[in-house]
Amino acid sequence: MSSYGAALAAPPRGSMKDGFSFGMAILGFALLVAIFGPSLVPYDPLTQELAARNAPPDAAHWFGYDHLGRDVLARLVAGTRISLAVALGATLLAMLLGAGLGLAAEALGRWPSFLVFGVFDMVRALPSILLALTLMVALGIGIIPLIIALGVAYAPHMALVARAAWRRESATGYVAAARVMGAAPLATLWRHVLPNIAGALVTQAAIIMPRAITTESVLSFFGLGVSPETPSWGRMISGASRFAESAPHAVLAPVLALCVVTLGFAFVGDRLRLALDPLREHGR
Amino acid sequence: MTQIPLPLLRRHLLLGGAALFAPASALGQVAPRTGTLKVAFLGLDTADPHRHTGSIAVQQVYVEGLTSIADDGTVKPFLATSWEISPDGRRYEFKIREDVRFHNGRLLTAEDVRANAVRVRDQVRGGWLSAPMRLVDSLEAPDARTFVMTMKEPYGPLLNLLSELWIVAPESEGWAQTIRQPIGTGPFRFGRWQPNVSFHAPAFTQYWQPGLPRAEAVEFSLRDDSDLSLALRAGDLHIGRIGYDKLASVRADPNLEVQFMKDTTWWFWSFNNRNPRPPFNDIRVRQAVSFMLDKPAFMRFVAGEAGTATNQMAAPGQFYWDKAVHDADVHAAPNETRAHALLREAGVNPANTPCRIVSWQSAYTEIAVQAMRKLGFQVEHLALDDIGAQRRLGQYDWDLAPFSSGPRADIFLRFVRLMSDGPNVGLWGGTRDAEFDRLVRAAIAAVDLNERRRLYLAAWQRAMDNYYTVVIGHAPEPIANRREVTGYSPGFTWGQHRVDGGLAFGALTARG
Repeated sequence: MSSYGAALAAPPRGSMKDGFSFGMAILGFALLVAIFGPSLVPYDPLTQELAARNAPPDAAHWFGYDHLGRDVLARLVAGTRISLAVALGATLLAMLLGAGLGLAAEALGRWPSFLVFGVFDMVRALPSILLALTLMVALGIGIIPLIIALGVAYAPHMALVARAAWRRESATGYVAAARVMGAAPLATLWRHVLPNIAGALVTQAAIIMPRAITTESVLSFFGLGVSPETPSWGRMISGASRFAESAPHAVLAPVLALCVVTLGFAFVGDRLRLALDPLREHGR
Repeated sequence: MTQIPLPLLRRHLLLGGAALFAPASALGQVAPRTGTLKVAFLGLDTADPHRHTGSIAVQQVYVEGLTSIADDGTVKPFLATSWEISPDGRRYEFKIREDVRFHNGRLLTAEDVRANAVRVRDQVRGGWLSAPMRLVDSLEAPDARTFVMTMKEPYGPLLNLLSELWIVAPESEGWAQTIRQPIGTGPFRFGRWQPNVSFHAPAFTQYWQPGLPRAEAVEFSLRDDSDLSLALRAGDLHIGRIGYDKLASVRADPNLEVQFMKDTTWWFWSFNNRNPRPPFNDIRVRQAVSFMLDKPAFMRFVAGEAGTATNQMAAPGQFYWDKAVHDADVHAAPNETRAHALLREAGVNPANTPCRIVSWQSAYTEIAVQAMRKLGFQVEHLALDDIGAQRRLGQYDWDLAPFSSGPRADIFLRFVRLMSDGPNVGLWGGTRDAEFDRLVRAAIAAVDLNERRRLYLAAWQRAMDNYYTVVIGHAPEPIANRREVTGYSPGFTWGQHRVDGGLAFGALTARG
């Protein structure tokens, strides 16, 4: 983990540091909006004023109304919380399932690894979006099913990264020493290896999170994400896209938010990947 | 040619085929067929016309019935030139049109009609025709031009329903099981069908109406596109249904024109009538919930200027609609204060009460959801696709279901769905009310039209009093066509071929 801090402290290029800072600023702002935003916007994201449907932005309603006469800003702010929560939940689940199962299987030996990664390979044969879509059909709509579907869909990605990191670390002296000292495989994994591969997992998480946000949007766009009235960005885009000609403000706001937050994650994830790449650290 | 009230019948003979088709005969001199009409309405779920599950827009171009629903909703002769109904309303004797050929060139006979009726009666389960077919006493074809259908009891909607008993040649491939290559008598032949993609139907050159069809072929897009307006504007489609939200932009396009279907789609919400959970089994709670409905605003939302709020299954102005009932609608305007008072009176605290709403994934359902939220209930909204919704409705573990339903060939097809043994009862909450059933059965058995209307209205009053289903309003579906299309007009139902219009009459000008 020491390499992580050092690499961030001394980035190779100024533009990359700028990118990391910019990404963190975006994510920090999004986080603040998710936490405090709903209490700052004076409108309820669900309340409908049918007479004002698709009304353009004005002084009172900065982002205007959507096709059901709901305040777009209020929904955008509420959607930030939902989209980030779904992304965070799905990524944690992917980490738990993918990295947890993958590492445990690797630690336990050849056959457990063969079985677990055989299953992951089968799952990985399907595109993540298709797998998530299938799971949503089976689980039904809602935030929890959405988190489960996305978590399962991205778990193999996390597992592969974890396996690569494990194999790299298991060839090092400290792992051999732990084995010689009689440490059990899972104990070695938990006490010695995990702290040293956490950086790689965090990097992968930073890559998965924006994917989870966009996949949530796609699933919600298809009517399979959260329930229709829930103000997720995907649902907002889905509902307002039919009126893009007459009320572009209602669809532009969530689209831009999605782009900006995805960009933020991309900047941070890319910087973390570079900072934690051991090959790059040694100048090879 | 309108349907004559049955009490007036003393073996009354309905004539008029010759008069009705005189204009068609005059079409014999029109220009040769030109172009392929590209259209999009609803899907085609099976090649077997007797086994369709609701979609009737496509198959009616290649198969026809003894009767046809005209633009004004009345029943007219089609493959039958006339019919006689016995005074007791049980025996129907049809004269089969001469010179009608199947697509394989063979002449249609009464025995073909009988074979189709037998097939539907004996092999088809469910669907609109299942109810009348259960009441069939005998099916006979005493000669090549006469088909006789005898019912066990009078059945008022029969002639209208026979417009959807499509006649297929018994030599069609798959007749014994599921017809795969139907040989019909329609103006277009069954051509290439790619399920959920397209259906191509070339013109039938020996079609019995001279001069028809006017196009060389018709090609249906069967894709489940939610918005066809761009394809219409781009010229990729000539005719297609459009959403009410696209009316303004389509009307603004000089290349397009908008027409409306003659019957309406209606919007409603139903309570779970088969297994209602407390407190939604309490009439006061149902009443309170209904007071949250803003019918005019709802109809403006779904249909704009085309929408009309009312409280009946028949649209305002139709024969079975009643102005007095409409004027007495206590839910014509929302009353939130009254809604809360009724909940208090019923001892219901909505904040502690879950309310499960099942719907399609349509925007209008969110208005119902928000109305329930505003009243204070803990809402769980399950927005599902068509099959998912049907399955979930059938579980009867929900409380409220906002839905809509399209045009039908007869008002009975709206009432039958609230009956205990009707098709798709889930959509209407699975009502099981013997008195309601009795009133509807009496209505369809009534030989006097005014008596039938009175009984239907009595049945509907019972449905309203018990809050089985609360009607919000009606609107006709808009259909857009490019201006290079001439002669086409939408009909009373989704069927795209009928006695007085439809795709057979459509043609493309040189511009197309």
